[in-house]
Amino acid sequence: MLGPRRREEVIPALVVLLVGSCLVAIAAGAVWISPLTSTRLLAWKFHLMARPRHIPEATSVILFQLRLPRVLLAAVVGAALAAAGTVFQALFRNPMADPAIIGVSSGAALGAIAVILAGGGAALDGLGVSGAAFVGALATAFLVYRLARLGPTVQVATLLLAGIAVAAIVSAAISLIMTFSGQQIRSIYFWLLGGLGARGWQALAAASPFVIAGAVISLASARDLNLTALGEERAAQLGLEVERFKRVMLGAGALLTAAAVSVAGLIGFVGLMTPHILRLLIGADHRKLVPAAILGGAVFMILADLAARTLVSPEEIPVGAVTAVLGGPFFLYLLRRERTRAGARP
Amino acid sequence: MGVFIRRSTGRRLRAAKPAVAAGLALAAIVAAACGGSVASRTASTPSTESPRAAFPLTAIDDDGVRVTIAARPRRIVTFAPSNTEIVFALGLGNDVVGVSGKFDDYPPGARSVARIGGAGEFGADPNVEKVVALRPDLMLTISGGDQWKQRLRDLGVAVFTVDATGFADLLGDIRTIGRITGVPERAAALAEGMEAREASVQRAVAGQPRVSCFFEAYYPPLTTVGPDTFIFDLLRRAGCDPVSATAKDDYPEWSVDDLVVEGPSVYLVASESGVSPQAVAKRPGFRAIAAVRQGHVYLVDSDLVSRPGPRVVLGLEALARAMHPGTLP
Repeated sequence: MLGPRRREEVIPALVVLLVGSCLVAIAAGAVWISPLTSTRLLAWKFHLMARPRHIPEATSVILFQLRLPRVLLAAVVGAALAAAGTVFQALFRNPMADPAIIGVSSGAALGAIAVILAGGGAALDGLGVSGAAFVGALATAFLVYRLARLGPTVQVATLLLAGIAVAAIVSAAISLIMTFSGQQIRSIYFWLLGGLGARGWQALAAASPFVIAGAVISLASARDLNLTALGEERAAQLGLEVERFKRVMLGAGALLTAAAVSVAGLIGFVGLMTPHILRLLIGADHRKLVPAAILGGAVFMILADLAARTLVSPEEIPVGAVTAVLGGPFFLYLLRRERTRAGARP
Repeated sequence: MGVFIRRSTGRRLRAAKPAVAAGLALAAIVAAACGGSVASRTASTPSTESPRAAFPLTAIDDDGVRVTIAARPRRIVTFAPSNTEIVFALGLGNDVVGVSGKFDDYPPGARSVARIGGAGEFGADPNVEKVVALRPDLMLTISGGDQWKQRLRDLGVAVFTVDATGFADLLGDIRTIGRITGVPERAAALAEGMEAREASVQRAVAGQPRVSCFFEAYYPPLTTVGPDTFIFDLLRRAGCDPVSATAKDDYPEWSVDDLVVEGPSVYLVASESGVSPQAVAKRPGFRAIAAVRQGHVYLVDSDLVSRPGPRVVLGLEALARAMHPGTLP
């Protein structure tokens, strides 16, 4: 963990990083659009100046229709996954808790696939898919929760095991549906593979309200998340309505996950790694950790998507592969550094 | 815990439909999906219905989309090696500003053209930004990719899909491409030349008994071509009856056991399958297949049979020579 003073600097540093990565991500791509050019085009778009001359029409199409929505979508999806990961890890008091591992991502995917199949793939952009993803995520979250509920309280270990089992069942169901889906397998496959480039502003508009709602709930619950970290009995003694709080947070986590999955498919590692990395840096106080995870997830996802679309340009690497390749080693490095330091101290 | 996806489906298709981009699962699933839709389409060349030659013109592509082309295209992007070959053969190579990727290797001039991606190494989608940056006034594509096609149309790119289901259909497609690129006479000449060469192959094999054959598109798993594919049509025209005529899929897996029973007398291997005839004979159980035992295993240049373009007549002649040695010069 960083020293107390350095810890205070993490969130401002993340804000700076977010702005910086946005600038780079907006500039880089199949064609380079300098920050000056994009600033002038933005100023024109907001009626602050006349249409800048000598800038090709294609450049403004790329900036406004392709790159800007994509970078913003990456930020929103990364923030959502990281916030969901933070919430689940606090709630389950387990570092392995991640939307993908406890089955919520798969649940969202199953819901969305059901709608894609029912609608013949035509309703891909609509609210239908997001809604169904949310229903799927929520249903999985509560199914896991109910399964794990033995007696009056939910034991965390049981919750996690139930989560893993349900995730396996849901994944199997998706594979099975895909086997029988005939021609629709294409729509489903592309959808699952995810990526951020396919749908532009529509995707951003579909996801943002849910992500904002989920993020606000998570931020507002930061103090209570700290209490649950003390253990359920202690939290209850300190006045937290533990069961009710768990249900609300499961809902918030499902909402965040569903919003991300429905526009970007299944992207791993962000929800698992971001909270971890930041916890190693700033500690487990959720009043700092939740906002830091939201910012950090956004930065991480913007950079991962930037790498995905520029490393082998004009080809594109699936962004999920990039998040895994970038996130994994960095996390291991931090973990090892932390352990070494801890070991060095008496 | 992620969702499990059968990636192998993709790989076996790569040989069979390199136009879709000889690679990866993505490309293959596209191929599988569009292959399935081929059967349901009535005719693949309705685009010639409007006789107007002058621009602006409107044509309906093989996806059933009505495409309006305002003026004679001067900046053409060809997505898929087959389309690249056709456009170059029409003498429009200088107007090609973008191709899909490294498989757009013929004619050699195509290799120096900017690439838009989607050739299969990392996926089957072109880089939309790259396409827009090239400011094309026509993008010629193949089936599949409805989503990025719609995206490009929304951004004002004229996307036109051609999907050749057989040799006759290909001739129609070439004429259509000639019409929408403003060179209908050259397209007619190209199509007539191809028609003549196909006719001479037909004459040569007409007197010969039909040969039962098997076409290996990919291995492992052993994968062949179904009756609705372009390659199957070429095989038929070369005087061969593929044993996979009963297949329901376009790129079905085939068991060696079945092949032993069916006993094709000629075994064709797509060069993209990456093996030699000797290697085929060494595979477990393959000696039991009649064609393999008798040494009738022939390597076929994938580029010549699986790219529906001007060079398929060469592929057709090569197939006919394999099937009926000595009948063609």
